[in-house]
Amino acid sequence: MPISAQSGHGADVAAALYIRSGAAAYDVSAEQFAAILDEILRKYFDSAPNSAHASVEQKADFCAGLRLEELALARACAGGNERAWQDFISRYRQKLHGMALHITRDGAHAAELADSLFADLYGVNARDGVRRSKLVFYTGRGSLEGWLRTVMAQEFINRYRKQKRMVSLEEQTEVGMQFAAAVPGSACAFSDRTSDQRLEAATDEALAELSAEDRFTLASYYLDGRTLAEIARTLGLHESSVSRRLDRLAAGLRKRILAGLRMQGMSHAQAAEALETDVRDLRLNLRSSLMQDSGAKTFPEGKVPAQDAGKGSN
Amino acid sequence: MSEVPKIVYDRLRAALPEGTGPERAHPDADLLTAFAEQALSVTERDGVLEHLALCGECREVVALAIPAADIVAAPLAAETEVVRTTVSRAGAPAPHKLSFAWPSLRWVALAAGVAIVASVLLVHPGKLNRAMPPSANRQVATIASASGPQIASSPIESSPIASSSTNQSAVSTKIGEARPKSELRLPKKLKAGQVMTPPHQADLGRLIADNKKDSSQADKLSAAPSAGASAFDAQTGRGATETVEVSAAAVAVEVAPSAERSLTARNETPAIEKAKPARQGIEANEQQETETAAAPGSARLQARNVMSASKLALPASQTSARNVTWTITAGVLQRSLDSGQNWQNALRADHPLLCYASHDEDVWTGGQAGTLFHSADSGITWAQVRPSIKTQQLISDITHIDVRDVPGPAEIVVSTSNNEIWSSADGGKTWEKK
Repeated sequence: MPISAQSGHGADVAAALYIRSGAAAYDVSAEQFAAILDEILRKYFDSAPNSAHASVEQKADFCAGLRLEELALARACAGGNERAWQDFISRYRQKLHGMALHITRDGAHAAELADSLFADLYGVNARDGVRRSKLVFYTGRGSLEGWLRTVMAQEFINRYRKQKRMVSLEEQTEVGMQFAAAVPGSACAFSDRTSDQRLEAATDEALAELSAEDRFTLASYYLDGRTLAEIARTLGLHESSVSRRLDRLAAGLRKRILAGLRMQGMSHAQAAEALETDVRDLRLNLRSSLMQDSGAKTFPEGKVPAQDAGKGSN
Repeated sequence: MSEVPKIVYDRLRAALPEGTGPERAHPDADLLTAFAEQALSVTERDGVLEHLALCGECREVVALAIPAADIVAAPLAAETEVVRTTVSRAGAPAPHKLSFAWPSLRWVALAAGVAIVASVLLVHPGKLNRAMPPSANRQVATIASASGPQIASSPIESSPIASSSTNQSAVSTKIGEARPKSELRLPKKLKAGQVMTPPHQADLGRLIADNKKDSSQADKLSAAPSAGASAFDAQTGRGATETVEVSAAAVAVEVAPSAERSLTARNETPAIEKAKPARQGIEANEQQETETAAAPGSARLQARNVMSASKLALPASQTSARNVTWTITAGVLQRSLDSGQNWQNALRADHPLLCYASHDEDVWTGGQAGTLFHSADSGITWAQVRPSIKTQQLISDITHIDVRDVPGPAEIVVSTSNNEIWSSADGGKTWEKK
């Protein structure tokens, strides 16, 4: 049952939440605020697998845990309330720029990113004639400042991805990229495919046995190159805990993969050899050897950085 | 750090959830924010982690979005790193920063040893301080009295306090290994509203001021709060360890500019808190007690002065509020005077800072465990503010600060992680809790 439709205790809770939010200062009525809370409850409880069992008290607790004041501010801004916008600008305008600088590390890009996000928050783009502010998506689960930072990070990554897709034809022509032959792929590794598949299967199995947090830690450290401190901060742990965990995971993974390979019929020596002498290394070494032998790199595989474009390949 | 077999890199990368149905849909910004702020339920957190383990893009978003309160060396990274990309660095061992590498640890061990020796010598000054002739204290008192309510830089510089370090040579020599030789030890208690101005940075690299509420043997120098007559009442006794009585609510330490120096001055509240290194763990903090005074009105303000201003590259006179840009990185408040090209640490507190608000030259910043600081001069000087009412003190994490522009003193509204709202209508002197 939605909070807005409750009577008695539920109505009292809704009224208390409304008062706590300070939404009245932004001309948001109690009914409007209750409707916002209902919408948030629907979003989080209706999609949850055990939502049917959520009691009124659980929902009230959930609502009480929201950042009500910031939620009221965000929704009032989305509704076009002038005072709310004044408050929002005084609180977050400068912070947005600081966040953008933190993310982009570049003054010009930061200004562009912050202005772009601000426009989205204001709702410059109208859909069906209605101005749609991005702030309408804020639900108060985390702080509004954190949400802005996250949205900005998403925007930054989206922009980066778009730029990555854009390839200069002129640069490609200059380096002869369009004439490059297709990479032969894994054909050279045909003879190793069997052991490769067994190794992959054993590794997949070992990884699947890990918890999500362990896999997140591994991916953050080894794939993304995050520091121990960054991972620790993300998980709410101490750096040394993350360090110990990574050591434990690395040792454990090696053992599990070896055990998996032995389960697939390899001897201990064969398993150890397969693990140490990875075909990826062989392939990589072969490629690098060929490149060294051929000397000049006529048809480079990657996109040449812009500053080197004029120099040609060497 | 142990390396994993290369096949693990491959298989981790191969598990990316591209276009694999709605269950792989990216968590929205709300969930990612709540995850980063540790505000999700266990079930939700597991779900988000499950996705993050597979999705490099969302991991990147979280990493960029996290306030990074405890991340070490982020300011240094800001100086060297041009643009962060989403390109995975897998395949080759990533350049990891190991905070516990031996080269760092041995300095930590050395610093710890020095700190222990220093603390023993400070607790039992014994013969070290007796060598100081009593006249020296009188000289300090006279100079300080002549300088009025402000303890100006030059008197301190030339005062026997500076020269008294010769008496503490056993300590200073050892400490000098871990911090600049020009460091000055100045235990004092200051009167309310006093601004303590350290000497020129060229002569004073770092100043650690102790306010010690000491026993009856302590020297007492009392200074009048403002324009009134300042009376430094000096008593001889301890020689080099001068103590200035303070009934101050807030003591600001003004720092002259320097690109390499840092200044730390703390008044300690009854709860003793650990000193935290301001930069690269070389700074040794000293603790001091501050008498708290009842503020006018019903509310009471306890003030603690913890100041750590480092690398303030430009003179205060050149610091214009409109040019200053603020950000918080690794729990440290940083400011830029050139639109973000260069960043300086403006304030590092005992607890990570989480938020800030600025209005003209007024800057407020708050963080974990009720940490709240105020600067009225664009971050040149800082005073810690401890909002409290009769029976309660603000101790929860401060997540948001709002400085409202109203005629007269600024109206401050502070939100906390447990949804408390504290407000002050008189620039932080008295507080109300909603």
